[in-house]
Amino acid sequence: MRIVVILGQVLDPSGIVIKRRAGRIFVNREEYVLQPADRCALEAALRIKNAALAGLRPSQGVEVVALPRGPLPDDDVLRQALATGADRAVYLTGEGFDGADDAAMARVLAVAVERLGGADLVITGATTFDTGQGQLGPRLAETLGWPQIVGAWQVEAADGRVRVVRQEGSGYVVVNADLPVVITVLPGALKPRYPDGARLINVYRAEDAVEKWDVSDLVSDLVDEAALQPLLEKRGQDFPPERERGVRLSGTPEEMAQALADTLRQRLGRRPATARER
Amino acid sequence: MDASYLDLLMAQQEEVTEEATGGGGIWVVADVVDGAVAPVTLEALGAARTLADSLGAYVYSVLLGDSVADGSTPLTTGLAQTLYQAGADGVRVANHPALARFALEPYLEVLAALFEEEQPEVVIFGATAQGQELAPRLAQRMDGGLIEHVVATSLDEATRTVVVTFPVYSGEYFEIAACPEARPQFLTIEPGTFSAPFLDPYRKGEPATLDFEPVEPAVHVVGAADDFEPPPVPLAQATVIVAAGRQAGDFELVQQLAAALGGQVAGDRGARDAGWIGPEQIVDVRGVTVAPQVYVAVGIRGDTFHNAAVEEAKFIAAIHPDPDAPIFQVADLCLEADPAEVLPALLKALT
Repeated sequence: MRIVVILGQVLDPSGIVIKRRAGRIFVNREEYVLQPADRCALEAALRIKNAALAGLRPSQGVEVVALPRGPLPDDDVLRQALATGADRAVYLTGEGFDGADDAAMARVLAVAVERLGGADLVITGATTFDTGQGQLGPRLAETLGWPQIVGAWQVEAADGRVRVVRQEGSGYVVVNADLPVVITVLPGALKPRYPDGARLINVYRAEDAVEKWDVSDLVSDLVDEAALQPLLEKRGQDFPPERERGVRLSGTPEEMAQALADTLRQRLGRRPATARER
Repeated sequence: MDASYLDLLMAQQEEVTEEATGGGGIWVVADVVDGAVAPVTLEALGAARTLADSLGAYVYSVLLGDSVADGSTPLTTGLAQTLYQAGADGVRVANHPALARFALEPYLEVLAALFEEEQPEVVIFGATAQGQELAPRLAQRMDGGLIEHVVATSLDEATRTVVVTFPVYSGEYFEIAACPEARPQFLTIEPGTFSAPFLDPYRKGEPATLDFEPVEPAVHVVGAADDFEPPPVPLAQATVIVAAGRQAGDFELVQQLAAALGGQVAGDRGARDAGWIGPEQIVDVRGVTVAPQVYVAVGIRGDTFHNAAVEEAKFIAAIHPDPDAPIFQVADLCLEADPAEVLPALLKALT
């Protein structure tokens, strides 16, 4: 069985400061980390691999292959995946690939999966930590023509089937599907393991630990280059208004409680006052 | 005026109507929860109405479901009328037992066939389980752009492009983006961010029923996962925290408040000394530094170490009897009162 895990990186939020009044983001420490949801996706894949190993069925060996979620400046997250337990990692690079968005990435990844010799399972994160977009998994499922399970808490795979726990309404349900399938895993769903220290050193020492594929090769294969053009265009940033601290409520305790309850309800009704209200 | 003239007039008007559509209109895919139209769908219709009025387009809505399943009114007269009232100019209904509950493949095929024919300009979903599964798949199939969790929209009228705002780092700031060329433009909107439109009881319509052959879903629900418990969220990553201090009074009430808000219980060092919380629940720069969406400090005086540990909270409410308590310097909303008096009223107001 071959499991493809799709991993991305995100700017560590503890290294940045957002100044609302200046309307700017100051990057104090530019450090990229593996997307939290993708980290759980990798963990899910490694657990399936371990379960297969524990079953002592060598014919059912599991190969975990890491692919990037988008254009990456370097292959750090892929090396980390190798050190954590992935068997193979492929770094995608190439001209005109820098701007690829999720629509284009889904096409590229579909070809990459084909090039690997097919896969039984694709696992990725359900949402990106920074932009909160969860479209890559379903878009890839559509390109591959596979079914999808979105927002998984637990993933088990055996005998050509997957068993996934996911949320439905306020409860949790178990769902089944035949392989192949694309699964997206929620951030925080599983407790991810750490990379193995010795492997980390070896992975960084070996130049060719991560395979390098040129996207233009993949593209000429099955997709035309126009399909890589990004569909979306950034139009700027918007900052929520500066906080007003120390607003004192007056009145009887009951009136104050009512006012606080109203504010809390508004706050928890998902998103607070946003740029829209200015 | 004879009848034939009137017919002619009507026919002419219909022609005008066809032309005025411009593109294929703005489409909203309805979410149905417990046999009623979900609030987010009404909000989406409100947003769609605003865009459509500036663009000179029509608002359409698609309703998928099974009227037999919930046994009550047929979709066409019940739920569809709500969609008309909320601002839809046209409603398409797909009614089949296979659509009784959301399953990707049957829903996807119905919508794909419909949109292939209608070629919408904009398609809006709610950012719900259903919308998050359907929108990217349709977008990929139709080569459309998709932006998820949209909290505001505006219009670039020259290119008929919807410019949207979506949160980054869960609302630390917002990114503005658009899909300038590819059509349709798909959006999923965040529930609770757009205002729900006025339901106009005089708006009525006759929904069109869609013809289709349902396909089999590929993912099957086996049953409830009774033994599954989601892993506990560490205090540092909790979204709602209710923290108690020395002046909290009755700790039971603090726990009840946390349960009512769906949050976690914490406290300052005073609460630990009182034996209410464990050492791992102390909010303090020497203990846990937190960054929740909402932090309620009940009877916490707020020393430097505590206040520094809650700096990253998006919203802080503080209840303390002393008007000079340092917690009020970091709180967004200050209640100078005895928690023992406020908490019972607050719990009542929240339920």
